[in-house]
Amino acid sequence: MLDTPIVHFDNVVKKFGSFTAVEKADFQIARGEFLAIMGSSGCGKTTTLRMLAGLEDPTEGNILLDGEKINGKPTWERDTPMVWQSLALFPFLTVQENVEFSLKMRKVPKGQRRERARKWLDRLGILEFADRNISQLSGGQRQRVALARSLVTEPKILLLDEPLSALDAHLKVRMQSVLSGLQKDLGITFVYVTHSMSEAFSMADRVVIMSRGKIEQIGTPEEIYREPRNRFVADFLGSSNVFDGSLKSSGNEVWQIETEHSSFTLKAPSEVQKTDGSPVAFAVSSENMSLAAIGTPWAGNSIEATVVGGEFAGASATVFLETDQGQELKVQKGHDELKTVDIRAGQKLLVHWLPEHCHVLPGE
Amino acid sequence: MNTRPSLFSLTFSLPLLIWQLAFFLFPLAFLVALSFWTVRNFQMQPNFDTVNWVKIYSRSVFWDAYFRTLLLASFSAALISLAAFPASYAISFKLGENAKRWMIFVLIIPFFTSYLVRVYSLQVFLSDAGILNAFLGYLGLGPYSMLNNSFGTLTGYATLCLPLVILLQVFSLNFVNRDLVEAAHNMRCGRLRTVLEVIIPSAKAGLVIAGLFAFILSFGDFVSPLYLGGGNPPTLSIMITDITKSGQQWPRAAVVALTMIATLLTVAFAAIKFAYREAGK
Ligand SMILES: Nc1ncnc2c1ncn2[C@@H]1O[C@H](COP(=O)(O)OP(=O)(O)O)[C@@H](O)[C@H]1O
Ligand SMILES: [Mg+2]
Repeated sequence: MLDTPIVHFDNVVKKFGSFTAVEKADFQIARGEFLAIMGSSGCGKTTTLRMLAGLEDPTEGNILLDGEKINGKPTWERDTPMVWQSLALFPFLTVQENVEFSLKMRKVPKGQRRERARKWLDRLGILEFADRNISQLSGGQRQRVALARSLVTEPKILLLDEPLSALDAHLKVRMQSVLSGLQKDLGITFVYVTHSMSEAFSMADRVVIMSRGKIEQIGTPEEIYREPRNRFVADFLGSSNVFDGSLKSSGNEVWQIETEHSSFTLKAPSEVQKTDGSPVAFAVSSENMSLAAIGTPWAGNSIEATVVGGEFAGASATVFLETDQGQELKVQKGHDELKTVDIRAGQKLLVHWLPEHCHVLPGE
Repeated sequence: MNTRPSLFSLTFSLPLLIWQLAFFLFPLAFLVALSFWTVRNFQMQPNFDTVNWVKIYSRSVFWDAYFRTLLLASFSAALISLAAFPASYAISFKLGENAKRWMIFVLIIPFFTSYLVRVYSLQVFLSDAGILNAFLGYLGLGPYSMLNNSFGTLTGYATLCLPLVILLQVFSLNFVNRDLVEAAHNMRCGRLRTVLEVIIPSAKAGLVIAGLFAFILSFGDFVSPLYLGGGNPPTLSIMITDITKSGQQWPRAAVVALTMIATLLTVAFAAIKFAYREAGK
C-alpha cells in the first residue's frame, strides 16, 4: 500500500461543452511529494486541482486516490482539503471558529476541537489572533489561517491553488519557506498550483508544466531546467535559445546539425534516437553562450549576430541579439565577462558555445 | 476613515435631505405637537396637555391591539421569510443566468396591480363559499373559515410582502461568495448543512433586512386586517381610523401613530444592529 502512488491521474480529460480544459492528463503523485503544477493563466491548472478535490468531474479517465477510484465521489466524502486562491475564509466566524470548522463537521467534541485548533494556530504563529475577525488580519495572517484550517484534520494530502498570489514579494518568499518547512515536517503530499516559475522551482520536488490543457513536461526542477522536453518548455523557462535544423550525420560521439545559419556540432544525446535527415531542435541555455568580437578564433559552435539591447539586473546582464536570418538570441553573463566586448546596440558580435551545452529537445 | 461629508457628496444628498425634512421630520414634529392638543365640541385646540397619552395608554383595548399587531407583524415577517427562502435559494443557486433574470421579472409583476385589487380578489378565494373551500369540499374536506380571522390577515400580508422579500433575499444570496460554499463542501459540510452554516450567515444582513421590510409593511398595513381579517378585533392602523371617526379625536390618533413609529424605529434599529454584527473582537 505504501508504495502505491497517493494520486494517479489515469488519462483524465475535462471538457466544458466542446472546450477541452484538460487534455489526457496522465501522471502519478508519490506519497509525501511536493508537486507543483505550473503554467500560464487559463491552461487548466485549477481545473486539474478541482478534479482531484471533487469539485469538478472528469469527462473521461479515472482519478485514483490511495489506489481507490474516486470519480463521482462528492468532495465532502473525500479527504482532499484545498486552500483557495481567494482563501475562502468564513468572514462570519472568528479565526478560531474557522479553524475548528472541519473538526466540527467531523463531530469532534468541543473541547478537543478547541485544543486542536489552538495547537495549529500556535504552530503557524497566529494564536494571539484566535478570537479576531478575519477582516482584522493582514494578508499573510489570513494565509496562515487558511493553512491551519486545512491542516487541522491532519490530512494525507493538501491541495493549494495559487495561495500566495495576493501577497507582496517579501511576504511571498517568507510564506514559501513556511510552506516547504511545513510540508517537510508533516511529510504529507502537497499539490501546489502556481503560474510562478520561481515558486514552483524553489519549493517543489517535481514540477508539472502545462499549456493549453496539455502536460508538456513532468520532472524535478533540475531535470526540467537542464533538459527541457520541447520548445514550449524551453521558451517558458525563458532562458534558452532554440535552434531548428536537420540531422546531417549522427556519429557515436557527435551529431552534426544543419540549420539555416550554419552547421552546428553537438554531443550525441544518449537517450534520443534519430535517423539522418530527420528534423532536430536543440536548446542552448543563455548562460552557456558567450560573446566575442568578430574575427576572434573560436573552436566549437559560433554564429554572428547584432546587438539589439540589454537588460541589466543585479550581478548579471542579459544581452539580446538578432542573427542575419532574424532569429532572436539571449546571452546572460556576469558584468566582468561583458567588460571585454562592446555591447552597444547595432554592434555585430560573435556568439559562441560548446557542443556539450546543446540540449536536443526530445519532444520536437 | 474621514467621515466629514464633502461638498460633492453633500450636493447629491441635499435633495434627499430636503425631502426627508419636508415629508418626514416636519410632519413628525407636527404629530408630536398634535398629540398634546385637546378637542372640545368637536374642535381641536392647540394646547399642552398630556391627557391624550394618559387616556390611550390606560386603555387595555389599546394594549390588546398593540400586542396583537406586533405579534401578527412578527409572525408575518418570520413566516414570509421562511416561506420565501427555499424559492430565493433555488433562484439564486440553481437557476442559470437567463432563468434568473426571468424570475426576477416575474417577481416584479405583482407590483403592477394595486394591492387593494389583489386583496379584494383574495376574498373570492378565501370566503366560506369561495374557490378554495369549493375545491377542498370537492376533496371531501372543510369548509374552513379562512376569511375575517388571522389566517386571512396573514394571507393578505403575504400578498403584500412575499414578492419583495423573495427579491431582497435573491439579491443578498447572489452576493454570497461561491468559493465559501465550495470550501464548506470541501471540509465535509453537506448540502443542507452548508445552507445553515455558511449561506445563511453569509447573507445574514440581506435576509434580516428582507424580514424587516415584511415586518414594517405588515405592522402598518390597513388593507389586509380590514378586508381579510375582518377589522375586529382591530390592529393599530384600524384603531387609528376608528379613533378619528369618533368625535374628531385626531390628537389621540396621533398618540397611536407615534407609538407605532417609535416601535418601528426600535425594531429597525435592533434588526440592523443584529444584521451587521461581526464575529469576534
Ligand atoms: N466552469 C467552467 N465552465 C467553462 N469553462 C471553464 C470553467 N472552468 C474553467 N473553464 C475554462 O477552462 C480553462 C482552464 O481554466 P483554469 O483551470 O481555471 O485555468 P488556470 O487555473 O490554469 O488559470 C479556461 O479557459 C477557463 O475559461
Ligand atoms: Mg487558476
